[in-house]
Amino acid sequence: MFVVPNYHEAVSDFSKGILNWKMWGRLGWQENKRRYRRTIIGPFWTTLSLGIFIGVLGIVWAKLWNQDPKIFLPYLCSGMIVWGLISSIINEGCSVFVSAEGLIKQLRFPYSLLACTVVWRNLIVFFHNLVIFFFVSLYAGFNLTWSSFLIIPGLALIFINGIWVSVLLGLFCSRYRDIQQVIGSILTVSVFVTPIFFTPEQLGARGLFIVDFNLLFHYLNIVRAPILGKAPDALNWLISISGTFLGWGMTVFFFSRFRRRIPYWL
Amino acid sequence: MASLILENVIVDFPIYGAEKSFRSALKAATGGLIRKEKNQGDRVTVRALENISLHLHHGDRLGIIGHNGAGKTTLLRVCAGVYEPTQGQVFFDGHVSALFNTAPGLDPDDTGYENIYSCGLFLGMTYEEITRKLSDIEEFCGLGEYLSLPVRTYSAGMSMRLGFALATSIDPEILVLDEGLGAGDAKFAEKAQKRVDALIDRTSILVLASHSDSLIQTFCNKAILMESGKIIREGAVDEVLEAYNQ
Repeated sequence: MFVVPNYHEAVSDFSKGILNWKMWGRLGWQENKRRYRRTIIGPFWTTLSLGIFIGVLGIVWAKLWNQDPKIFLPYLCSGMIVWGLISSIINEGCSVFVSAEGLIKQLRFPYSLLACTVVWRNLIVFFHNLVIFFFVSLYAGFNLTWSSFLIIPGLALIFINGIWVSVLLGLFCSRYRDIQQVIGSILTVSVFVTPIFFTPEQLGARGLFIVDFNLLFHYLNIVRAPILGKAPDALNWLISISGTFLGWGMTVFFFSRFRRRIPYWL
Repeated sequence: MASLILENVIVDFPIYGAEKSFRSALKAATGGLIRKEKNQGDRVTVRALENISLHLHHGDRLGIIGHNGAGKTTLLRVCAGVYEPTQGQVFFDGHVSALFNTAPGLDPDDTGYENIYSCGLFLGMTYEEITRKLSDIEEFCGLGEYLSLPVRTYSAGMSMRLGFALATSIDPEILVLDEGLGAGDAKFAEKAQKRVDALIDRTSILVLASHSDSLIQTFCNKAILMESGKIIREGAVDEVLEAYNQ
């Protein structure tokens, strides 16, 4: 904590890394391309298994909770797809530097480039998974409205946040290897606590704190609501935008102090 | 003009999870360089470089000589900007390229061509530059049709050739080179030698670490001898080599 910060270095790392979109664009793309090799449907395998999960559980749970499957299925589907995006960015963010040890130890380059690769790669997977929603809509009906276009700022916000999340977690996890395990367990529980399988309304008034204080839910909803053709609540925007500033502030604080230590920690 | 200046550089490596007994074993093995930091609790560090100062300018070709564990690779990594020194300062003027193992970012599942672009970008080239140099790389590595196949199908010698062709196609101002740039069979070695010569000719500053006297004699015009993280001899190549071989 008492290390002298080097803001100039941290900021130039971020600006050089993020602006080098040609590079992270390529790296993220390559990684998805690799998953197509030697399999016929490549990344669609994850899509397929997620699709089966959503289809089967959606029908069972709709019955169990007496919900209209035409409403519940799109709700569950959009929630799972967006959750997949958010949780895999967080998960893979933990190992962003550890898994790039070889590169970090032999080259001088902006480390934020690796974080952008993680986010971009998962965004590509997200678009693969969006196909499931298309099929669900064939059954449940399309609900395309003007609000649907809010998915663009929503995803942009996820992208911007994904970068700081990866850098910050990657930094901590390269120094303290236990953190990755902790984050993994938190995410496993979060999928049940966050309103993905159930709606906030089902919780009623007494459960609202679970929703309102759940940061992940607000991020989830800024993308999920537009997929369902609705506009996210003002609170969702408010919290996720404040989270963006807070998160970036925190990341710059730590990154400017410990960036130079990363190669020593690997 | 390019320059590379190191001022009183100290590098300490933190060792995490070092047990007490392991610590004393290390102490015996490294001649007492392991220290416990007084104000940092039980953290164990290894001092890899001690007060290193170097002033390199255009035309300087520095050879780094020393036994295993003398700190050669660490010094190279400081020169490459990978490690920021714990104390002291490093000033770069010019683009630094470092070659430790031949192809950074090489992925065995990608084809040769895909890897040429990925690694080329990591080595600091632009898309246009790589496209311009593509035919030269193709010709030099002599892999022909294989370049369209995944690198994992290559033999060790073939992937080495690809890496070598890539690594030597850059135009660095400051080149940091570990001796690892080996070169396959005899016929290829001869071709490779020419290419390394050409690469070194177009760089402004060279820093080369090697165990081979002849390599240092061929490429360098000054040398340093390192021992346990310190420079113990500095000067003309022959003098330093003599001190090393004593």
